Amino acid sequence: MELLEIKDLSKKYENKYALKNINLKLSSGKIIGLLGKNGAGKSTLIKLINDLLTPTDGEILIKGNKVGVESKKIISYLPERTYLNKQMRVNEVLNYFEDFYDDFDIQKAKRLLKDLDLDDNQKLSKMSKGMQEKVQLVLVMSRNADLYILDEPLGGVDPATRDYILDTILSNFNENASVIISTHLISDIERILDEVVFIDKGEIALQSDTDELREKENASIDEIFRRMFKC
Amino acid sequence: MLIKLLKYDLKYMIRNMCVFYILSVFFAITTRLLSLPEQTVMIKILSRISSGCMIAMIADIIINVMMRSWVRFRDSIYKDESYLTHTLPVTKNDLYNSKFIQTLIFFFVGFVFVILSLFIAYYTPHTWLIIKEYIKAITTGFNMSMLFFITITFLIIFLELFNAIQCGFLGIILGYKMSNGKTGLSVLFGFVFYLISQTLVLSLVFVYGLFDNSVMELFKSGTINIDVNAFRVLAIVSSILYLIIIFGMSIICKKVLNKGVDIE
Repeated sequence: MELLEIKDLSKKYENKYALKNINLKLSSGKIIGLLGKNGAGKSTLIKLINDLLTPTDGEILIKGNKVGVESKKIISYLPERTYLNKQMRVNEVLNYFEDFYDDFDIQKAKRLLKDLDLDDNQKLSKMSKGMQEKVQLVLVMSRNADLYILDEPLGGVDPATRDYILDTILSNFNENASVIISTHLISDIERILDEVVFIDKGEIALQSDTDELREKENASIDEIFRRMFKC
Repeated sequence: MLIKLLKYDLKYMIRNMCVFYILSVFFAITTRLLSLPEQTVMIKILSRISSGCMIAMIADIIINVMMRSWVRFRDSIYKDESYLTHTLPVTKNDLYNSKFIQTLIFFFVGFVFVILSLFIAYYTPHTWLIIKEYIKAITTGFNMSMLFFITITFLIIFLELFNAIQCGFLGIILGYKMSNGKTGLSVLFGFVFYLISQTLVLSLVFVYGLFDNSVMELFKSGTINIDVNAFRVLAIVSSILYLIIIFGMSIICKKVLNKGVDIE
Protein backbone atom coordinates (compact mmCIF):
# COMPACT_ATOMS: atom_id res chain seq x y z
CA MET A 1 0.00 0.00 0.00
CA GLU A 2 1.28 3.47 -0.92
CA LEU A 3 1.95 5.89 1.92
CA LEU A 4 0.28 8.69 0.01
CA GLU A 5 -1.96 8.34 -3.00
CA ILE A 6 -3.60 11.27 -4.73
CA LYS A 7 -6.19 10.64 -7.42
CA ASP A 8 -7.47 13.29 -9.84
CA LEU A 9 -7.19 16.01 -7.22
CA SER A 10 -8.36 19.51 -8.12
CA LYS A 11 -8.83 22.66 -6.12
CA LYS A 12 -10.64 25.59 -7.61
CA TYR A 13 -10.94 29.12 -6.20
CA GLU A 14 -13.86 30.91 -7.81
CA ASN A 15 -12.99 30.49 -11.50
CA LYS A 16 -9.32 29.64 -11.19
CA TYR A 17 -7.77 26.23 -10.61
CA ALA A 18 -5.00 26.23 -7.98
CA LEU A 19 -4.51 22.51 -8.60
CA LYS A 20 -5.77 20.58 -11.59
CA ASN A 21 -6.05 16.80 -11.88
CA ILE A 22 -3.14 15.90 -9.66
CA ASN A 23 -2.20 12.24 -9.57
CA LEU A 24 0.64 11.26 -7.29
CA LYS A 25 1.91 8.21 -5.42
CA LEU A 26 4.57 8.39 -2.73
CA SER A 27 6.04 5.42 -0.91
CA SER A 28 7.64 5.07 2.54
CA GLY A 29 11.25 5.64 3.46
CA LYS A 30 11.98 8.61 1.22
CA ILE A 31 12.69 12.31 1.46
CA ILE A 32 10.73 14.04 -1.26
CA GLY A 33 11.21 17.59 -2.42
CA LEU A 34 8.04 19.34 -3.50
CA LEU A 35 9.40 22.07 -5.73
CA GLY A 36 7.82 24.84 -7.71
CA LYS A 37 7.69 28.57 -8.22
CA ASN A 38 5.64 30.88 -6.00
CA GLY A 39 1.96 30.26 -6.51
CA ALA A 40 2.57 26.97 -8.31
CA GLY A 41 0.28 25.09 -5.90
CA LYS A 42 2.74 23.51 -3.44
CA SER A 43 1.11 24.91 -0.30
CA THR A 44 -2.37 24.22 -1.67
CA LEU A 45 -1.46 20.55 -2.14
CA ILE A 46 0.03 20.35 1.35
CA LYS A 47 -3.00 22.04 2.90
CA LEU A 48 -5.33 19.63 1.12
CA ILE A 49 -3.40 16.65 2.51
CA ASN A 50 -3.69 18.19 5.98
CA ASP A 51 -7.43 18.92 5.87
CA LEU A 52 -6.91 22.69 5.84
CA LEU A 53 -8.57 22.97 2.45
CA THR A 54 -11.48 21.08 0.93
CA PRO A 55 -10.86 19.55 -2.50
CA THR A 56 -13.09 20.54 -5.40
CA ASP A 57 -12.60 17.09 -6.95
CA GLY A 58 -10.57 13.97 -6.38
CA GLU A 59 -9.35 11.93 -3.47
CA ILE A 60 -6.41 11.78 -1.10
CA LEU A 61 -5.52 8.53 0.64
CA ILE A 62 -2.93 8.24 3.38
CA LYS A 63 -2.11 4.59 4.04
CA GLY A 64 -5.50 3.81 2.53
CA ASN A 65 -7.38 6.25 4.78
CA LYS A 66 -9.16 9.34 3.55
CA VAL A 67 -8.09 12.64 5.12
CA GLY A 68 -9.48 12.63 8.66
CA VAL A 69 -8.74 11.55 12.20
CA GLU A 70 -6.81 8.41 11.16
CA SER A 71 -4.62 10.26 8.64
CA LYS A 72 -3.85 13.00 11.16
CA LYS A 73 -2.55 10.39 13.60
CA ILE A 74 0.25 9.49 11.18
CA ILE A 75 1.06 12.86 9.60
CA SER A 76 3.32 15.35 11.32
CA TYR A 77 2.89 18.73 9.67
CA LEU A 78 5.00 21.86 9.88
CA PRO A 79 3.19 24.82 8.31
CA GLU A 80 4.93 27.88 6.97
CA ARG A 81 3.43 30.08 9.67
CA THR A 82 3.56 30.08 13.46
CA TYR A 83 0.44 28.40 14.74
CA LEU A 84 0.94 28.02 18.48
CA ASN A 85 -1.10 29.88 21.06
CA LYS A 86 1.26 32.67 22.13
CA GLN A 87 -0.12 32.66 25.67
CA MET A 88 1.36 29.22 26.29
CA ARG A 89 4.81 28.34 27.60
CA VAL A 90 6.99 25.90 25.69
CA ASN A 91 6.51 23.14 28.30
CA GLU A 92 2.73 23.60 28.09
CA VAL A 93 2.94 23.11 24.33
CA LEU A 94 4.97 19.94 24.89
CA ASN A 95 2.23 18.64 27.19
CA TYR A 96 -0.37 19.65 24.60
CA PHE A 97 1.35 17.58 21.92
CA GLU A 98 1.79 14.68 24.32
CA ASP A 99 -1.92 14.80 25.10
CA PHE A 100 -3.06 14.71 21.50
CA TYR A 101 -0.43 12.67 19.68
CA ASP A 102 0.26 9.14 20.88
CA ASP A 103 3.50 9.10 18.90
CA PHE A 104 4.94 12.26 20.49
CA ASP A 105 8.25 11.68 22.28
CA ILE A 106 8.46 14.40 24.94
CA GLN A 107 11.98 13.41 26.05
CA LYS A 108 13.24 13.74 22.50
CA ALA A 109 11.56 17.15 22.24
CA LYS A 110 13.22 18.34 25.45
CA ARG A 111 16.58 17.13 24.18
CA LEU A 112 16.17 18.94 20.86
CA LEU A 113 15.07 22.13 22.62
CA LYS A 114 18.20 21.96 24.76
CA ASP A 115 20.35 21.49 21.64
CA LEU A 116 18.82 24.65 20.22
CA ASP A 117 19.31 26.57 23.48
CA LEU A 118 15.58 27.07 23.87
CA ASP A 119 14.19 27.47 27.37
CA ASP A 120 11.17 25.20 27.83
CA ASN A 121 9.83 27.47 30.55
CA GLN A 122 9.68 30.51 28.29
CA LYS A 123 6.41 31.98 27.08
CA LEU A 124 5.96 31.84 23.30
CA SER A 125 4.92 35.50 23.22
CA LYS A 126 8.38 36.39 24.56
CA MET A 127 10.13 34.49 21.78
CA SER A 128 11.16 35.82 18.39
CA LYS A 129 9.44 34.46 15.29
CA GLY A 130 12.57 32.46 14.46
CA MET A 131 12.61 30.87 17.91
CA GLN A 132 8.92 29.99 17.63
CA GLU A 133 9.61 28.34 14.28
CA LYS A 134 12.38 26.28 15.88
CA VAL A 135 9.99 25.18 18.64
CA GLN A 136 7.50 24.12 15.97
CA LEU A 137 10.16 22.16 14.11
CA VAL A 138 11.13 20.40 17.35
CA LEU A 139 7.49 19.52 18.03
CA VAL A 140 6.97 18.14 14.54
CA MET A 141 10.22 16.15 14.44
CA SER A 142 9.63 14.71 17.92
CA ARG A 143 6.71 12.68 16.64
CA ASN A 144 7.28 9.16 15.38
CA ALA A 145 5.02 9.77 12.41
CA ASP A 146 4.77 7.89 9.12
CA LEU A 147 4.71 11.04 7.04
CA TYR A 148 6.33 14.38 7.83
CA ILE A 149 5.19 17.33 5.75
CA LEU A 150 7.35 20.41 6.06
CA ASP A 151 6.17 23.53 4.29
CA GLU A 152 9.06 25.96 3.76
CA PRO A 153 11.01 24.85 6.85
CA LEU A 154 14.06 26.87 5.80
CA GLY A 155 12.35 30.15 4.98
CA GLY A 156 13.73 33.15 6.88
CA VAL A 157 16.41 31.10 8.67
CA ASP A 158 20.14 31.82 8.64
CA PRO A 159 22.44 29.33 6.83
CA ALA A 160 23.85 27.85 10.06
CA THR A 161 20.38 27.13 11.44
CA ARG A 162 19.39 25.84 8.00
CA ASP A 163 22.09 23.18 8.26
CA TYR A 164 20.99 22.34 11.78
CA ILE A 165 17.37 21.99 10.61
CA LEU A 166 18.39 19.67 7.77
CA ASP A 167 20.48 17.58 10.14
CA THR A 168 17.57 17.47 12.58
CA ILE A 169 15.27 16.28 9.81
CA LEU A 170 17.75 13.64 8.68
CA SER A 171 18.52 12.30 12.11
CA ASN A 172 15.04 12.41 13.58
CA PHE A 173 12.73 10.67 11.21
CA ASN A 174 12.50 6.93 11.29
CA GLU A 175 13.54 4.81 8.33
CA ASN A 176 10.03 3.68 7.49
CA ALA A 177 8.70 7.21 7.35
CA SER A 178 8.73 9.67 4.50
CA VAL A 179 9.33 13.39 4.49
CA ILE A 180 7.83 15.85 2.04
CA ILE A 181 9.69 19.16 2.00
CA SER A 182 8.34 22.12 0.12
CA THR A 183 10.88 24.87 -0.50
CA HIS A 184 12.40 27.37 -2.88
CA LEU A 185 15.87 26.84 -1.47
CA ILE A 186 16.64 23.84 -3.65
CA SER A 187 20.43 24.00 -3.45
CA ASP A 188 20.24 23.79 0.35
CA ILE A 189 18.13 20.65 0.48
CA GLU A 190 19.31 18.93 -2.68
CA ARG A 191 21.81 16.77 -0.80
CA ILE A 192 19.13 15.10 1.30
CA LEU A 193 16.45 14.46 -1.36
CA ASP A 194 15.64 10.98 -2.66
CA GLU A 195 12.87 12.09 -4.97
CA VAL A 196 11.57 15.34 -6.45
CA VAL A 197 8.13 16.46 -7.53
CA PHE A 198 8.00 19.61 -9.65
CA ILE A 199 4.72 21.51 -9.60
CA ASP A 200 3.90 24.15 -12.17
CA LYS A 201 0.64 26.06 -12.63
CA GLY A 202 -1.25 23.61 -10.46
CA GLU A 203 -0.08 20.50 -12.27
CA ILE A 204 2.64 17.93 -11.69
CA ALA A 205 5.36 18.81 -14.18
CA LEU A 206 7.79 16.08 -13.18
CA GLN A 207 8.22 13.29 -10.63
CA SER A 208 11.56 11.53 -10.50
CA ASP A 209 14.26 9.90 -8.42
CA THR A 210 16.91 12.60 -7.79
CA ASP A 211 19.95 10.51 -8.74
CA GLU A 212 18.32 9.33 -11.95
CA LEU A 213 17.31 12.87 -12.85
CA ARG A 214 20.79 14.27 -12.18
CA GLU A 215 22.34 11.53 -14.30
CA LYS A 216 19.86 11.96 -17.12
CA GLU A 217 20.16 15.75 -17.29
CA ASN A 218 23.79 15.87 -16.23
CA ALA A 219 23.01 18.76 -13.91
CA SER A 220 22.07 19.46 -10.32
CA ILE A 221 18.40 19.57 -9.30
CA ASP A 222 18.80 23.29 -8.74
CA GLU A 223 20.03 23.80 -12.30
CA ILE A 224 17.31 21.59 -13.74
CA PHE A 225 14.70 23.57 -11.82
CA ARG A 226 16.10 26.90 -13.03
CA ARG A 227 16.15 25.64 -16.62
CA MET A 228 12.65 24.26 -16.45
CA PHE A 229 11.04 27.29 -14.84
CA LYS A 230 13.03 30.04 -16.52
CA CYS A 231 10.91 33.19 -16.75
CA MET B 1 -10.41 13.61 22.86
CA LEU B 2 -13.30 15.96 23.71
CA ILE B 3 -12.12 16.07 27.33
CA LYS B 4 -8.58 16.97 26.23
CA LEU B 5 -9.83 19.72 23.93
CA LEU B 6 -12.07 21.02 26.67
CA LYS B 7 -9.18 21.05 29.12
CA TYR B 8 -7.22 23.45 26.91
CA ASP B 9 -10.25 25.57 26.01
CA LEU B 10 -11.09 25.96 29.70
CA LYS B 11 -7.47 26.83 30.49
CA TYR B 12 -7.56 29.57 27.87
CA MET B 13 -10.76 31.02 29.29
CA ILE B 14 -9.57 30.85 32.91
CA ARG B 15 -6.40 32.65 31.91
CA ASN B 16 -8.40 35.47 30.33
CA MET B 17 -11.37 35.62 32.68
CA CYS B 18 -9.82 35.22 36.13
CA VAL B 19 -8.79 38.89 36.25
CA PHE B 20 -12.45 39.93 35.97
CA TYR B 21 -13.54 37.42 38.64
CA ILE B 22 -10.84 38.60 41.01
CA LEU B 23 -11.59 42.29 40.40
CA SER B 24 -15.34 41.88 40.78
CA VAL B 25 -14.90 40.09 44.14
CA PHE B 26 -12.25 42.63 45.16
CA PHE B 27 -14.53 45.60 44.48
CA ALA B 28 -17.42 43.76 46.16
CA ILE B 29 -15.29 43.44 49.29
CA THR B 30 -14.21 47.10 49.17
CA THR B 31 -17.84 48.16 48.63
CA ARG B 32 -18.82 46.16 51.69
CA LEU B 33 -15.94 47.54 53.78
CA LEU B 34 -16.73 51.11 52.78
CA SER B 35 -20.44 50.88 53.52
CA LEU B 36 -20.02 51.95 57.13
CA PRO B 37 -23.05 53.13 59.10
CA GLU B 38 -21.58 56.59 59.70
CA GLN B 39 -19.85 57.71 56.51
CA THR B 40 -17.74 60.79 55.86
CA VAL B 41 -18.12 62.51 52.48
CA MET B 42 -14.85 60.98 51.28
CA ILE B 43 -15.89 57.47 52.33
CA LYS B 44 -19.21 58.01 50.57
CA ILE B 45 -17.41 58.97 47.36
CA LEU B 46 -15.06 56.00 47.62
CA SER B 47 -17.97 53.70 48.32
CA ARG B 48 -19.80 54.90 45.19
CA ILE B 49 -16.65 54.49 43.08
CA SER B 50 -16.06 51.01 44.44
CA SER B 51 -19.67 50.03 43.85
CA GLY B 52 -19.51 51.41 40.29
CA CYS B 53 -16.31 49.45 39.61
CA MET B 54 -17.94 46.27 40.85
CA ILE B 55 -20.95 46.76 38.55
CA ALA B 56 -18.56 47.43 35.66
CA MET B 57 -16.68 44.20 36.43
CA ILE B 58 -19.95 42.27 36.58
CA ALA B 59 -20.86 43.60 33.13
CA ASP B 60 -17.33 42.74 31.95
CA ILE B 61 -17.75 39.16 33.14
CA ILE B 62 -20.82 38.63 30.93
CA ILE B 63 -19.54 40.62 27.93
CA ASN B 64 -16.10 39.00 28.06
CA VAL B 65 -17.46 35.45 28.13
CA MET B 66 -19.29 36.26 24.90
CA MET B 67 -16.44 38.13 23.22
CA ARG B 68 -13.74 35.67 24.30
CA SER B 69 -15.84 32.70 23.19
CA TRP B 70 -16.30 34.20 19.73
CA VAL B 71 -12.65 35.24 19.40
CA ARG B 72 -11.42 31.85 20.64
CA PHE B 73 -13.75 30.10 18.22
CA ARG B 74 -12.63 32.22 15.25
CA ASP B 75 -8.92 31.99 16.10
CA SER B 76 -8.78 28.27 16.59
CA ILE B 77 -11.04 27.37 13.66
CA TYR B 78 -10.02 29.95 11.03
CA LYS B 79 -6.90 31.92 12.02
CA ASP B 80 -3.24 30.86 12.42
CA GLU B 81 -4.03 28.52 15.31
CA SER B 82 -6.32 26.58 12.98
CA TYR B 83 -3.20 25.07 11.39
CA LEU B 84 -2.82 23.17 14.63
CA THR B 85 -6.51 22.71 15.45
CA HIS B 86 -7.41 21.07 12.14
CA THR B 87 -4.36 18.82 12.13
CA LEU B 88 -5.12 17.35 15.55
CA PRO B 89 -6.50 13.81 15.37
CA VAL B 90 -9.96 14.87 16.54
CA THR B 91 -13.30 15.11 14.79
CA LYS B 92 -14.82 18.42 13.74
CA ASN B 93 -17.76 17.62 16.03
CA ASP B 94 -15.42 17.40 19.00
CA LEU B 95 -13.83 20.71 18.06
CA TYR B 96 -17.25 22.35 18.00
CA ASN B 97 -18.60 20.59 21.10
CA SER B 98 -15.59 21.64 23.11
CA LYS B 99 -16.22 25.33 22.33
CA PHE B 100 -19.94 24.88 23.02
CA ILE B 101 -19.39 23.27 26.44
CA GLN B 102 -16.64 25.72 27.34
CA THR B 103 -19.02 28.64 26.78
CA LEU B 104 -21.77 26.90 28.74
CA ILE B 105 -19.46 26.34 31.70
CA PHE B 106 -18.18 29.91 31.69
CA PHE B 107 -21.68 31.35 31.62
CA PHE B 108 -22.45 29.34 34.75
CA VAL B 109 -19.19 30.40 36.38
CA GLY B 110 -19.93 34.00 35.37
CA PHE B 111 -23.38 33.86 36.95
CA VAL B 112 -21.90 32.43 40.14
CA PHE B 113 -19.38 35.30 40.37
CA VAL B 114 -22.04 37.91 39.61
CA ILE B 115 -24.26 36.59 42.41
CA LEU B 116 -21.30 36.15 44.76
CA SER B 117 -20.12 39.73 44.18
CA LEU B 118 -23.59 41.16 44.68
CA PHE B 119 -23.99 39.08 47.83
CA ILE B 120 -20.66 40.22 49.29
CA ALA B 121 -21.31 43.87 48.46
CA TYR B 122 -24.91 44.32 49.41
CA TYR B 123 -26.11 41.46 51.60
CA THR B 124 -27.74 42.42 54.87
CA PRO B 125 -30.61 40.60 56.57
CA HIS B 126 -32.72 43.64 55.73
CA THR B 127 -31.95 43.71 51.97
CA TRP B 128 -32.40 39.93 51.82
CA LEU B 129 -35.83 40.34 53.39
CA ILE B 130 -36.79 43.04 50.87
CA ILE B 131 -35.73 40.85 47.92
CA LYS B 132 -37.57 37.87 49.39
CA GLU B 133 -40.73 39.88 49.94
CA TYR B 134 -40.53 41.31 46.44
CA ILE B 135 -40.16 37.90 44.81
CA LYS B 136 -42.89 36.52 47.10
CA ALA B 137 -45.26 39.26 45.94
CA ILE B 138 -44.60 38.39 42.30
CA THR B 139 -44.85 34.61 42.80
CA THR B 140 -48.04 34.94 44.85
CA GLY B 141 -49.52 37.11 42.11
CA PHE B 142 -48.53 34.59 39.44
CA ASN B 143 -49.50 31.64 41.62
CA MET B 144 -46.13 29.90 41.37
CA SER B 145 -43.40 28.76 43.73
CA MET B 146 -40.37 30.98 44.38
CA LEU B 147 -38.08 28.20 43.19
CA PHE B 148 -39.94 27.94 39.86
CA PHE B 149 -39.86 31.71 39.37
CA ILE B 150 -36.14 32.05 40.11
CA THR B 151 -35.26 28.99 38.01
CA ILE B 152 -37.30 30.06 34.98
CA THR B 153 -36.02 33.66 35.16
CA PHE B 154 -32.38 32.55 35.22
CA LEU B 155 -33.02 29.93 32.57
CA ILE B 156 -34.49 32.50 30.17
CA ILE B 157 -31.63 34.97 30.75
CA PHE B 158 -29.14 32.14 30.29
CA LEU B 159 -30.79 30.82 27.13
CA GLU B 160 -31.09 34.31 25.70
CA LEU B 161 -27.36 34.93 26.17
CA PHE B 162 -26.46 31.48 24.92
CA ASN B 163 -28.61 32.01 21.85
CA ALA B 164 -26.57 35.14 21.10
CA ILE B 165 -23.35 33.08 21.41
CA GLN B 166 -24.69 30.43 19.06
CA CYS B 167 -25.71 33.06 16.51
CA GLY B 168 -22.13 34.34 16.69
CA PHE B 169 -20.67 30.86 16.11
CA LEU B 170 -22.97 30.23 13.16
CA GLY B 171 -22.20 33.70 11.79
CA ILE B 172 -18.45 33.03 12.01
CA ILE B 173 -18.75 29.64 10.29
CA LEU B 174 -20.96 30.83 7.45
CA GLY B 175 -19.18 34.18 7.14
CA TYR B 176 -15.81 32.48 6.69
CA LYS B 177 -17.28 29.87 4.37
CA MET B 178 -18.70 32.52 2.05
CA SER B 179 -16.25 35.38 2.26
CA ASN B 180 -12.91 33.56 2.38
CA GLY B 181 -11.75 34.96 5.67
CA LYS B 182 -13.39 38.37 5.94
CA THR B 183 -14.58 39.02 9.49
CA GLY B 184 -17.12 41.67 8.47
CA LEU B 185 -19.46 39.18 6.88
CA SER B 186 -19.27 36.94 9.97
CA VAL B 187 -20.36 39.84 12.18
CA LEU B 188 -23.20 40.68 9.80
CA PHE B 189 -24.33 37.05 9.62
CA GLY B 190 -24.20 36.73 13.42
CA PHE B 191 -26.37 39.83 13.81
CA VAL B 192 -28.85 38.65 11.17
CA PHE B 193 -29.12 35.19 12.80
CA TYR B 194 -29.75 36.85 16.15
CA LEU B 195 -32.57 38.94 14.68
CA ILE B 196 -34.00 35.85 12.96
CA SER B 197 -33.89 33.79 16.15
CA GLN B 198 -35.64 36.55 18.13
CA THR B 199 -38.27 36.99 15.42
CA LEU B 200 -38.76 33.23 15.28
CA VAL B 201 -39.35 32.97 19.04
CA LEU B 202 -41.79 35.90 18.95
CA SER B 203 -43.62 34.50 15.91
CA LEU B 204 -43.98 31.07 17.45
CA VAL B 205 -45.28 32.58 20.70
CA PHE B 206 -47.77 34.52 18.54
CA VAL B 207 -48.82 31.28 16.83
CA TYR B 208 -49.27 29.71 20.27
CA GLY B 209 -51.35 32.75 21.19
CA LEU B 210 -53.84 31.88 18.44
CA PHE B 211 -54.82 28.92 20.59
CA ASP B 212 -54.47 30.62 23.96
CA ASN B 213 -56.27 33.92 24.58
CA SER B 214 -54.22 34.83 27.64
CA VAL B 215 -51.04 34.74 25.57
CA MET B 216 -52.69 36.62 22.68
CA GLU B 217 -53.56 39.42 25.12
CA LEU B 218 -49.82 40.21 25.29
CA PHE B 219 -49.94 41.13 21.62
CA LYS B 220 -53.30 42.94 21.78
CA SER B 221 -53.18 44.81 25.06
CA GLY B 222 -51.36 48.14 25.38
CA THR B 223 -50.75 47.78 29.12
CA ILE B 224 -48.16 45.58 30.81
CA ASN B 225 -50.62 43.57 32.79
CA ILE B 226 -49.43 40.03 32.28
CA ASP B 227 -51.93 37.33 33.00
CA VAL B 228 -50.78 34.56 35.38
CA ASN B 229 -51.25 31.87 32.77
CA ALA B 230 -49.68 33.98 30.02
CA PHE B 231 -46.50 34.50 32.03
CA ARG B 232 -46.18 30.81 32.80
CA VAL B 233 -46.81 29.82 29.17
CA LEU B 234 -44.53 32.54 27.83
CA ALA B 235 -41.71 31.44 30.11
CA ILE B 236 -42.01 27.75 29.33
CA VAL B 237 -42.73 28.09 25.59
CA SER B 238 -39.93 30.58 24.97
CA SER B 239 -37.46 28.43 26.94
CA ILE B 240 -38.34 25.39 24.85
CA LEU B 241 -38.09 27.44 21.64
CA TYR B 242 -34.69 28.82 22.61
CA LEU B 243 -33.47 25.31 23.36
CA ILE B 244 -34.68 24.07 19.97
CA ILE B 245 -33.09 27.03 18.16
CA ILE B 246 -29.78 26.65 20.01
CA PHE B 247 -29.52 22.93 19.25
CA GLY B 248 -30.74 23.47 15.69
CA MET B 249 -28.00 26.04 15.12
CA SER B 250 -25.37 23.75 16.64
CA ILE B 251 -26.40 20.98 14.23
CA ILE B 252 -26.07 23.38 11.27
CA CYS B 253 -22.67 24.55 12.55
CA LYS B 254 -21.38 20.97 12.79
CA LYS B 255 -22.75 20.03 9.38
CA VAL B 256 -21.03 22.99 7.71
CA LEU B 257 -17.76 22.34 9.58
CA ASN B 258 -17.85 18.67 8.61
CA LYS B 259 -18.09 19.63 4.94
CA GLY B 260 -14.58 21.01 5.33
CA VAL B 261 -12.82 24.30 5.82
CA ASP B 262 -10.74 26.51 3.56
CA ILE B 263 -8.03 28.10 5.64
CA GLU B 264 -6.21 31.03 4.09
